[in-house]
Amino acid sequence: MSPFTPEQEKVLQGWAARYPAPLMGLGEALRQVQEWHRCVTDEDEDYLAEFFGVPRSRIREVATFFPSYTQKPTGRHRIGLCRGLSCSLAGSQSMCACLEKKLGIKDGETSADGRFSLETMECLGACDQGPALLVNDELKGAATEESISRLLEELK
Amino acid sequence: MAKTIKFRLDGTAVEALEGETVLEAAERAGLRIPHYCWHKALGNPGNCRMCVVEVEGAPKPQAACRLPAKEGLVVRSASPASRRAQSAALELHLVDHPLDCPVCDQAGECGLQDYYMDIGRYPSAMREDKAHAAKRVPVGPHIMLDQERCILCTRCARFVSQVSKSHELGIFGRGHNEAVALVPGRVLDNPYSGCLADVCPVGALTDRDFRFQVRVWYLDGADSVCPGCSRGCGIRVHTSTRRPWHNKGRRLARLKPRFTEVNGHWICDEGRYGYADFDTDRLGKVMRLKDPSAELGWDVVCDEVAVAIRQGMLKDPAGLAVVASGGLSNEDWRAFRSLFVDALKLERFLFAPEPDQVGEQDELLRRRDKVPNLEGGKAAGFGTQIKSLDWDGLAGEIESGKVWGLYVVDRDPVKVWGERGRALAEGLSLLVCQGPRKGLTGGLAHYRLPATDWLEEAGSFTNFQGQVQTYLPALKPLGAARPDWDIFSALEKAVNG
Amino acid sequence: MTKLLTAHFDEPMLHELETFRRLGGYEGLKKALALGREKVVEEVKRSNLRGLGGAGFPAGMKWSTVPSQAQDPGPRYVVVNCDESEPGCFKDRVLVTRAPHALIEGLLVAMYAVDSEQGFIFIRGEYGVQHRILQKALSEARAAGLIPAPSSIDLMRGGGAYISGLDTALLETMEGKKAWPRQPPPFPTAKGLLGRPTVVNNVETLCMVPHIVLKGGDWFAKLGTAKSGGTFLFSISGHVERPGVYEFPMGTPLKEILAAAGGVKGGRKLKAVIPGGVSTPVLTADELDTPMDFEGPRAKGTFLGAGGVIVLDETADMVMVAHNIERFLAHESCGQCTPCRQGSYWHERILERGLSGGGTAEDLATLERAGENITGKVICALGDTVGVVTRALMKKFPEDFKARFPERRG
Repeated sequence: MSPFTPEQEKVLQGWAARYPAPLMGLGEALRQVQEWHRCVTDEDEDYLAEFFGVPRSRIREVATFFPSYTQKPTGRHRIGLCRGLSCSLAGSQSMCACLEKKLGIKDGETSADGRFSLETMECLGACDQGPALLVNDELKGAATEESISRLLEELK
Repeated sequence: MAKTIKFRLDGTAVEALEGETVLEAAERAGLRIPHYCWHKALGNPGNCRMCVVEVEGAPKPQAACRLPAKEGLVVRSASPASRRAQSAALELHLVDHPLDCPVCDQAGECGLQDYYMDIGRYPSAMREDKAHAAKRVPVGPHIMLDQERCILCTRCARFVSQVSKSHELGIFGRGHNEAVALVPGRVLDNPYSGCLADVCPVGALTDRDFRFQVRVWYLDGADSVCPGCSRGCGIRVHTSTRRPWHNKGRRLARLKPRFTEVNGHWICDEGRYGYADFDTDRLGKVMRLKDPSAELGWDVVCDEVAVAIRQGMLKDPAGLAVVASGGLSNEDWRAFRSLFVDALKLERFLFAPEPDQVGEQDELLRRRDKVPNLEGGKAAGFGTQIKSLDWDGLAGEIESGKVWGLYVVDRDPVKVWGERGRALAEGLSLLVCQGPRKGLTGGLAHYRLPATDWLEEAGSFTNFQGQVQTYLPALKPLGAARPDWDIFSALEKAVNG
Repeated sequence: MTKLLTAHFDEPMLHELETFRRLGGYEGLKKALALGREKVVEEVKRSNLRGLGGAGFPAGMKWSTVPSQAQDPGPRYVVVNCDESEPGCFKDRVLVTRAPHALIEGLLVAMYAVDSEQGFIFIRGEYGVQHRILQKALSEARAAGLIPAPSSIDLMRGGGAYISGLDTALLETMEGKKAWPRQPPPFPTAKGLLGRPTVVNNVETLCMVPHIVLKGGDWFAKLGTAKSGGTFLFSISGHVERPGVYEFPMGTPLKEILAAAGGVKGGRKLKAVIPGGVSTPVLTADELDTPMDFEGPRAKGTFLGAGGVIVLDETADMVMVAHNIERFLAHESCGQCTPCRQGSYWHERILERGLSGGGTAEDLATLERAGENITGKVICALGDTVGVVTRALMKKFPEDFKARFPERRG
C-alpha cells in the first residue's frame, strides 16, 4: 500500500519530472515527505526507492545524511535554535534553556502532544540577528524570553 | 601492448600501465603502500587517507590510490614525512576503535594491527571515552557486524552495490554518527555474503562460521580449487591441526577465495560453507563387510575384489555397472577409464548428477552443475562416447537381474533411490563402495575402500570453460585412505593379475 | 565610497522587478548580449573578480575553462551556490532578500557567457523565505521575457548540510546523493552536474558580473587591489554595535570595516576578530590594519573567506570559541575521510572536557599534533580546516588555554 495519497503521489511525480534527471528531484521529494509525515518512515523510503528505481540503501543514505529529514517524527512546529558562534555569543544557550523550560522538552525531543519539537542547529545564516530561530521554514531573529513566549502563543 | 609508464617509488623503478594509479602499480610490483579503502576489485574512493605519499614537486601529500602514475614521477611512501602522515591517519582510525583484539577474530590478520606494528607504534593520546555503537549484530546467516570496530572504508557497501548487487548494506548517517548498517528489514543473505568478511580490512564484519573457532596464527594453509560447482574457483584452505584437542578436532577451519582469472577475488557461500561436515561420516579403514567382516590390507582387498569381479564377469560380462562422480580429478578419470573401460571393457556407467547436484546459476560465479569436473570426465570419454545411465534405469536393471554388481565411486545411490535403495543394494551379488564417506551405500556394501577427499590429495579439475587447475593437499589422508586414481591402479594390477 | 550591490539597499521595493529595472537593473544583461560571449568572459577576466564564496578562484578563469560546444557538445549548466552556511556569513541571504533580480541577472549573463541554457539556484533549506522571494522574482523575470526559451532557471533547496556548499558536494547533493565531495580532477567545468560541464558560482560573485559588463573589467579591477577586483560584502556579527552586511572595496583595512559597524558592543575592549567565517584563523586586536582582500589576511596566516567577520570582545573565552567551531566542523563533517570524521570529533571532545574542568596541559600538545595531521591530508576544504582555528587561538591566546588546560601533578 502506498504511504501517500494520489494527490501526494502526483506531487512526487512532479519533482521526479522537474529536473534533467529524475533522481535530482529526490531532495525536494524527501522535503515534501518530511512535511507530510513529519519524518521519513521505512515505508516512505521503500516507496521512494521503487518510485525512483534505485536501491533502498541509496534513498536511506540521503535521508539519514541531511538533518532536514528525520527518522522520528518532529512536532507540528519544528523549532530550531542556532548554536553557531555568533548566536552563542548572543546567548543562544540561555534561549535553549528557556525553550526547554517553556516547551517541557529537551533539545532533540518532541512534545508528547506532537505539537512542538526542539533542535539546536548549526549556523542558520542569521548571525546579524542572534540568537536566531528557525520556526518551520522561517528564520526569526534576535530571540528573547519575551519573543519566545509570544511566538509559542502564536503557534498554539 | 599497452604503453608503460616509468616512475620511481622509494628509489625503486616501477612500471605502470597506462591509466594505473601509483598504488595499483606499486601493488603489482609487490611494493606495499598502506591502505584500507582501496581494493583492486572495488575501486579507490580515497577516503581512508592511509596511502598518503610525498610526491616530488607537489605542495602537499597525495593519496597514492588517487594519483595517476606519470612518467618520471618521484614518489616517497616510506620517507619520514610520509610515514608520519600515514601513522597519523592510523591514529585517527584508532581514536574510537574499541581495541578489543583479545576477543576479536580478526586479530592476527587485521589491517589496524598490522599497520600499527609497521608504521604506528606511537603512545596513545586518546583520553576521551570511546564512542559506542552496535556490537555483535548478526546481519546475515554468515556475517556478524561490529560497528565499533568499523573504520568506514566503505568496501562492504561497495561490494553489495557493485558485485553482489544486492544492496543490503549502506553507510547511513553523517560524520561521526555515520555507520555501516543493514537497510531496515533486510538480511545480508546474498549468495556471496561471506566475501564481506574478506573485504573488511578490520574486525567489523566477521565470519560467523569461523567465529571463536581458532586464532588465525594456529592456521596452516594450502592452495586449492573449490569443488562446489563446475566454475572451479581458486581457494585458500585454512586448516587447524596443530591443537587437535581444540574445537572437537575440526580440521578444516575455513575456505577463503584465492585470486585467479577464473573467479577474481570472490567465492560463493555455497562453496565457502559447503564443507563444514568435511570430517563427518568418513571412511578410514579398508573393510570387507560380509562373510565374515574384517579389516583388510589394500593388497588383500584388491585381490578379493578383482576375483569377485572376474568371477561375476565370467557369467555375465555386461552385468557389472559403475557409478562415478563428477568430483573425480583428471588423474582419477584417467585411471578410472583405464580400469573400467580399457581393462574390464564394461558398458554400464552412471555419472548423472544426484538430484542435489544441480542448483542455481548466476552471472557472477555460480554454475548449475554442483560438481567440479564434468569436463575432465568428458575428456576421458564419459558423456561423449560413453553415455550415462539414469538412476531409474539403473535401478530397473538391478531389479530385472541385468545388473549383478555395482562399483560405486564417491556417490550414494542408496540415498538417491530412497525407499527402494536398501532392497536394490541387497539384491546385488557384489557392491563395492569407494570414496571418502560412508553414506547409506557404505553401510550395505560388501567392500568399503576409503579414498581421500580433495583436500587430502593433489590433483586437477577441468572447469566448464576447459581451464585445468591444480590443487594441493591441505590435510593428511585419514587412516588408510588413498587417492581414487591410486586405488583404480592397484585394482587394475590385481585384475590383470 | 563606491557601492555596487548595496547601492540601492535603501529602496524598500528593490526586490521587485519594476524597481530593480528603474534603478538600472538588467542593463548589464542587455549589454552582455550585445558584446558577445568572448568579450564578456574577457571583461570578467580583466576585472580580477574572484570567487566570493570564499575560495577566491578567479571567476573569468573558471568560465574560460568550460569547453566550447564544438569541443564538448551537449548541455552545460551554471549553478548558483546559495548554500551559505559558514558561521558568520549571511550576505547571500541579504542579497537574495533585498535584490533577487541582481542574482538572476548575473546568472543570465553567466549562462550566456558559457553558452548554457540551464541555470540552477541551489539555496540552503533553511532559507525558506528567500526561496519564496526567488520563486517570485523568477516568475516576474520569466513573465517579462528576460529568460527566453530555451533558457531556463530552476531552484533547488538543500537538506541542511554545510558541506553541500562545497562545489563538488553541491553537485552530488543536486544529483540526489549524499553530499560527499568528489576528488577532482575532473573539475566541474569539465565534468560537473550529471557529468556535464558545469560552472558553480557564489551568489555575490554573480551579482558583481552585470556591473563589470556595464562599466568594464578595468574599472572594476581598479576598485579593488592588484589581485582582488571590485568591492566585497562583509557580514559583521558577534560583539559589535550594528551587525549587518557592509560593502567595501577590496583591500579596505579591517579597522574601517569594524568602525562602520559601530565598533565593539557596549564600548568593551576588542579581543580578536575572525575575519572570514569560522573556518578562518583569528586576527588579534593588534592586527586591525590588515587589508581585507584575498591577499591581505593570507600574510597574517588567515583568509578573507566569505567575509564573515565575527567580533570577539574581552569577555570571550577562546576555549569556548574553539569548542564551538570544532563542534560545528564535527557536526558538519560528511564522514567520508577518516581523519576529518574522527579528528573533528576528537577535537570537540577534548575542548569540551577542557570547558567542563577536566583539561590538562597534555591535551594542548594533542590538539597541536592531531590537527596538523589532518590539514592537507584529506579530500576537501572542510577537513583541511579541522583544528586550524583552534591552533591559531592557542597560539594567540595561550592564557585562555592554560586556564582551561592547566599543568597537573600526580
